[in-house]
Amino acid sequence: MDGESKRVLEYLTEVEVAAEDVLTTKQQIVDLDTKRNRNREALNSLKNEVSDSEKVKVCFGSVFIKFSKLKTMEMIQKDQKQLDMEINNLRKGLKAKVNRLNEMQGKPELRGYNLSPLSSDEIKAINGLLKK
Amino acid sequence: MAIEVEMATTKVPEVRDITRIERIGAHSHIRGLGLDDALEPRQVSQGMVGQLASRRAAGVILEMIKDGHIAGRAVLIAGQPGTGKTAIAMGIAQSLGPDTPFTALAGSEIFSLEMSKTEALSQAFRKAIGVRIKEETEIIEGEVVEIQIDRPATGTGAKVGKLTLKTTEMETVYDLGNKMIDSLSKEKVQAGDVITIDKATGKISKLGRSFTRARDYDAMGAQTQFVQCPEGELQKRKEVVHTVSLHEIDVINSRTQGFLALFSGDTGEIKSEVREQINAKVCEWREEGKAEIIPGVLFIDEVHMLDMECFSFLNRALESDLSPVLIMATNRGITRIRGTNYQSPHGIPIDLLDRLLIIATSPYTEKETRQILKIRCEEEDVELSEEAHTVLTRIGMETSLRYAIQLISTAGLVCRKRKGTEVQVEDIKRVYSLFLDEARSSQYMKEYQDSFLFNETQTGQMDTS
Repeated sequence: MDGESKRVLEYLTEVEVAAEDVLTTKQQIVDLDTKRNRNREALNSLKNEVSDSEKVKVCFGSVFIKFSKLKTMEMIQKDQKQLDMEINNLRKGLKAKVNRLNEMQGKPELRGYNLSPLSSDEIKAINGLLKK
Repeated sequence: MAIEVEMATTKVPEVRDITRIERIGAHSHIRGLGLDDALEPRQVSQGMVGQLASRRAAGVILEMIKDGHIAGRAVLIAGQPGTGKTAIAMGIAQSLGPDTPFTALAGSEIFSLEMSKTEALSQAFRKAIGVRIKEETEIIEGEVVEIQIDRPATGTGAKVGKLTLKTTEMETVYDLGNKMIDSLSKEKVQAGDVITIDKATGKISKLGRSFTRARDYDAMGAQTQFVQCPEGELQKRKEVVHTVSLHEIDVINSRTQGFLALFSGDTGEIKSEVREQINAKVCEWREEGKAEIIPGVLFIDEVHMLDMECFSFLNRALESDLSPVLIMATNRGITRIRGTNYQSPHGIPIDLLDRLLIIATSPYTEKETRQILKIRCEEEDVELSEEAHTVLTRIGMETSLRYAIQLISTAGLVCRKRKGTEVQVEDIKRVYSLFLDEARSSQYMKEYQDSFLFNETQTGQMDTS
């Protein structure tokens, strides 16, 4: 293989790796959101269907352990917080990754990508303009 | 009868393709400046022909506008009538893309009874400055799998319910409170709809019905829209970037106006305090990274129609830090500045002229005229025979390019009337005898001026300044 085609191959590999990276992050967000929603369902059913004194079985890997309801809820809530944070971090990272991919492919940078959002009050004030 | 009914139900509604009928304007064939990547002008490209030097100059300015380097500068395109001044300005507008604001107005447009000249000018200035902002919302987006609402047996009291939503990747159940149940039933949400729920406000909006449910009912309203089941996670973050002009923000904040002001187009005058407030707010947003300011382009055609007051306003306005690139065009030589008795080149005061980058356009050569006529023929859907093309080019050289362009569509009509497919020399001759050009018309005037009314203005040089 001569130098030219080697360079092309290298470049294409690089782009593919970057694209794969973006896809993996996206999938990771989906998986985490699935988990977050399942946790939310669990919290709801604990709140509505189980009395405070009852103990519930919690599954850890392959074993079920009996826990008090309050402690379980506390655990899940902590888990939720962790998940929220992780999803946020992934989303932030995703932006940089998409930018890098675009740059590699020679596409123009997305406009207004790095702006911080207006607050909800400000949006409300100029809503008439945006709904055109 | 029964067969007829069946026919009616199985008949697929005809899809009628609506092609937009656009009127053909004088510069509708311009798609850009016709430059290559190195900013070198091509002889014929994107509807532009010739004028290589001025197009190259315009290209340099265009790049500077794109990089945001020359906000608050002004450019003057000067040249004889019919040498492509407006075409160059249109080319700049086309190559800037849809995101950079471009406002065009003619010099005489600012004279109106409802609005002062400076107000009209400042509105035009502010229309040419864009502000890019971002809106961010957390939404839950998914296809409704099932809604289950339990009403209490007594008829009163709190309702409870469950809503199952899915995307292509996941599915989950939400417990519903009273409020959500109410807004769901208000929106008439049912299984198979694709909905979004705004997390902050709880507002539900229906996007349409899922494709997989397209066969649920036989009869459906024409307004039913089918959409794909959403992909990815259920709880999404949506970011939308908007570009609005400063003038639009002015209008909604100008309190004496109702919110309808934007639609009626009649905005009246906007107080300078409102403008200052908006400027302060936008600058604050920019500092906080919430907004980007996009200086656009304001194009004033026939700029010699502006008077002394307008010119001094322009001088001042160009110095403001929120100022667009100003492009002006004029076909005047040394002439009186409107509203004064002083003569000045292009009818523009020397002090303003001093701030301008001046691009000159020169008359087209015969070859270029030929090419322009060819492009216009394509644009107006008229086929021209080789001889007719040559004749038309001669007419264009001897009278004016505009007159020759006028003859294209009229000759096309004559040709169609005699059921021909290609315009021949006879068609050109016919319209040439039907319509006078400027020189023949004035010749006619000189010969027969005694028989016209009000012919006392014998020395009548038209006062155009």
